[in-house]
Amino acid sequence: MKLENKEFGFDSFATEMARLKNEKHFDYLVTVVGEDFGTEEGLGCIYILENTSTHERCSVKQLAKKVGEEFVIPSVIKLWADADLLEREVYDFYGIKFLGHPDMRRLFLRNDFKGYPLRKDYDMDPAKNMYTTEDDVELDTTTEWNLDKNGELVGTQHALFTDDNFVVNIGPQHPSTHGVLRLQTVLDGETVTNIYPHLGYIHRGIEKLCEQFTYPQTLALTDRMNYLSAMMNRHALVGVIEEGMGIELSERILYIRTIMDELQRIDNHLLYTACCAQDLGALTAFLYGMRDREHVLNVMEETTGGRLIQNYYRIGGLQADIDPNFVSNVKELCKYLRPMIQEYVDVFGDNVITHQRFEGVGVMDEKDCISYGVTGPAGRASGWKNDVRKYHPYAMYDKVNFEEITLTNGDSMDRYFCHIKEIYQSLNIIEQLIDNIPEGEFYIKQKPIIKVPEGQWYFSVEGASGEFGAYLDSRGDKTAYRLKFRPMGLTLVGAMDKMLRGQKIADLVTTGAALDFVIPDIDR
Amino acid sequence: MEEKKQSYFGEVGSALKTLATGMKVTMKEYFTPKSTEQYPENRETTLHVAKRHRGRLVFKRDENEDYKCTACTMCEKACPNGTIKIASEMVTNPETGKKKKQLLDYEYDLGDCMFCELCVNACNFDAIEFTNDFENAVFDRSKLILHLDKEIYKGGSLPKLIEGGADWKVGTFNTKKK
Amino acid sequence: MFDFRIVTTWFDELLRVTCGLSNFWTILIECVVVGLAILLAYALLAIVLIFMERKVCAYFQCRIGPVRVGWWGTLQVFADVLKMLIKEIFAVDKADKLLYYLAPFLVIIASVGTFSFLPWNKGANILDFNVGIFLVTAISSIGVLGIFLAGWGSNNKYSVLSAMRGAVQMISYELSLGLCLISAVILTGTMQISGIVDAQTGPWQWLIVQGHVPAILAFLVFCIAGNAEANRGPFDLAEAESELTAGYHTEYSGMGFGFYYLAEYLNLFVVSGIATTVFLGGWAPLNIGIEGFDAVMNYIPGIVWFLGKTFVVVFLLMWIKWTFPRLRIDQILKLEWKYLMPLSLVILVLMTVCVAFGWTFTING
Repeated sequence: MKLENKEFGFDSFATEMARLKNEKHFDYLVTVVGEDFGTEEGLGCIYILENTSTHERCSVKQLAKKVGEEFVIPSVIKLWADADLLEREVYDFYGIKFLGHPDMRRLFLRNDFKGYPLRKDYDMDPAKNMYTTEDDVELDTTTEWNLDKNGELVGTQHALFTDDNFVVNIGPQHPSTHGVLRLQTVLDGETVTNIYPHLGYIHRGIEKLCEQFTYPQTLALTDRMNYLSAMMNRHALVGVIEEGMGIELSERILYIRTIMDELQRIDNHLLYTACCAQDLGALTAFLYGMRDREHVLNVMEETTGGRLIQNYYRIGGLQADIDPNFVSNVKELCKYLRPMIQEYVDVFGDNVITHQRFEGVGVMDEKDCISYGVTGPAGRASGWKNDVRKYHPYAMYDKVNFEEITLTNGDSMDRYFCHIKEIYQSLNIIEQLIDNIPEGEFYIKQKPIIKVPEGQWYFSVEGASGEFGAYLDSRGDKTAYRLKFRPMGLTLVGAMDKMLRGQKIADLVTTGAALDFVIPDIDR
Repeated sequence: MEEKKQSYFGEVGSALKTLATGMKVTMKEYFTPKSTEQYPENRETTLHVAKRHRGRLVFKRDENEDYKCTACTMCEKACPNGTIKIASEMVTNPETGKKKKQLLDYEYDLGDCMFCELCVNACNFDAIEFTNDFENAVFDRSKLILHLDKEIYKGGSLPKLIEGGADWKVGTFNTKKK
Repeated sequence: MFDFRIVTTWFDELLRVTCGLSNFWTILIECVVVGLAILLAYALLAIVLIFMERKVCAYFQCRIGPVRVGWWGTLQVFADVLKMLIKEIFAVDKADKLLYYLAPFLVIIASVGTFSFLPWNKGANILDFNVGIFLVTAISSIGVLGIFLAGWGSNNKYSVLSAMRGAVQMISYELSLGLCLISAVILTGTMQISGIVDAQTGPWQWLIVQGHVPAILAFLVFCIAGNAEANRGPFDLAEAESELTAGYHTEYSGMGFGFYYLAEYLNLFVVSGIATTVFLGGWAPLNIGIEGFDAVMNYIPGIVWFLGKTFVVVFLLMWIKWTFPRLRIDQILKLEWKYLMPLSLVILVLMTVCVAFGWTFTING
């Protein structure tokens, strides 16, 4: 989608955004992109919004106003709940203070970090960016910024904890956070009263790196975000670059990309169902899932050469043509997998203990899911029709028949079954395509130095656990001016606080398992 | 899932049924073939590694064991990590008098490589490729710095594996040692 | 059937008559020998059980388990024990040192204590009081203390949560456990363990047959409650590896952890052993009333019968553990108070009625 930004101006921004949401039904805030637009325009944000009834998207550009040395933009947290973490991310990287946001702390970087690294004038001198070996500063309070009558910036302190709070850190080293995520959990007995997510333990600055890399080089990083959606991540990035360059792909490429995306989805969902079992203590069901995932990976590896880091799509096509046995292997795999999925349901999904553990846990209704940006199977479990493959089709998705799985309860049990049913749908998609892969080029030759014409694009794909998007601002160079990814997991983690208030600490693990997030994807 | 109103005993009954189903499945799996592959015992027998697996970078050589690298440094420029370092000199051909770049050293740091295959894509002379040789463990980091022009790669520790090794079938594991 | 009393009497005679020792020395030496035998059996059984668990769980999970150390991995557990023995034991900063070091011993005491009650063979009861069953439940309760003190003394929030869970769960499940044992006592009319086993010798005299419906139900409830009492999956939420890392023994290293590990497996064995003793006839061989068959069965030593039956129950419990996901604390308590407790009470009444009206398969009246 080429962005045509609406601009409202600083003073009318808040009211116009409220009108977009309340009158025009743009109730899903896809992402907030912070950007340093250069010396003339200064810092600002691009908001990408979606109308959830018509699935129309629009984008709003808002430049930050300079107050003294600080940059400010009114917060939209009251309109869209997922703006909480998204605005904190922008604050972290660009130092834009969002007026009225109750919790303006850093999100990914350490609290004692100096400066805002994604600003174009940030001093990149390695000597000044040595990694410190000191302990990080732990904050007990947070600041809300507002403008007073004279237009001065004033801060209000909010306490994060009270004196008699029992605070347990789930993570950063914990078996069920699936990586280095730290959930600072305030407990009352075994009941959760509050969750503060602390991110960035595996933050690698991929977006900053992308601003120095050439376009082909940026591809090498995408597989390393959500490694279980490696194909989809890269699909989004090559998609946005190809759209910017206007490359026409051959049918063969589109077919193979669709099949690969779905194989990757099966891979993710198998691991997901397995990990759900593991987090609930059913190690045997976990290993059944892992065993069958091996077969999926074997099939993919014969063609891509990778198991986790797939490295298969490139700008203008694919890294290599499919393996000669690919078609027969995939068909055999589909035949093998169907009864196996029933086995997971038998041993784990239909088990009365699983039902007891999952039902009514981490419930979120459709309205909140939209507001918190809980996309993917987690959102569809509450009935929100948000499948990017259906509503913003790419590759072959508008040509194949598949059902968008939506359930109604919005609890962990439905999230689990949503994944199970999606495996069947993915198998259906693959079976429709696998016999009809047309002849043609697997790679459309590109110039040695790839340049994208000037403009801004946003391209999103349906990742395994939600919408994965790539925003590209090109100034006609061989490197991107700004490349921003919409991670799948960030909004999921942001919603955990809301989902879990008043539930048991054991439900935190369950909800986390059923949500399906991968930390390197959140942290980037 | 439809809302089912069940009696106390009906609930207990259906719960026990699901538990029994679970136990039936695990008992069945108790007797199915196992999935553990016996590496390293199987490394020369039943091991399969995909031909396209990216284990390490090698020079392609023709039958005279000559390489095709012209030291154009396209791969060096393409590498996001600075894994490849090429040293070259200009040599004048005494017969034609033309100046030509001559490769002195092709240094490839396996420890820095992230196997993205951009160097292979960038090469215009089809001089380098990845092989599926995965036994790259060494005791010293410095041993990971390889000089591709100096070595003549014959398949590393498992020459028979270069074409993929043993056969493999979807849905099964090569669990035997022999 | 070989009566082990021959051996014990001979040994007693040997000390008293042949060596001419006084009463005091005789009993002292006998106690030391028996104590050593218990500890040796305890350690060996733990190793066997750990190895069995690893192989059984591997087979359920489509793996083959340890195969590298020794033939078919048989020396793996010895290697692990060796590793555990040479590891340093250190306490966490600000831990309550006394409780921290005391706790593993309490757990081991409870475990060895109950272990000593098991009837290995005819005449081979180590502890055999007239209130045997009662004492077993009493001693096993010391284990709760060990778990609670470990969690409390570790200065770790996860451990405290786990300790509270463990204590609540174990105290609750002791009720069903006790009630099931009482129904067996009603049937046999004695609390003495040797008496209970003796009542089960003869054709079709195992309690599970003798007491038919109520006994089968009691056996099943006992298995569930015993599993919970031994803190094993699906009731292992005190450990709850994916929630509380390792629960109450998170902060233990070396043999401190080793004691918990040993106790866990031995408790499994003890629970299975008591289930065998009380419901499956202990060392009593399978007799069906046909003389030839019974003679052959009687020829097999009692210890083989006892260990065989116990390991069958152990396998059953492992099968359960490696199939099901873990319950949540409120669900565990709900299961106990809403389902198992009423059921055990019903079993108790049913058993009493059966015994009172003579609706049991007893031959000796």
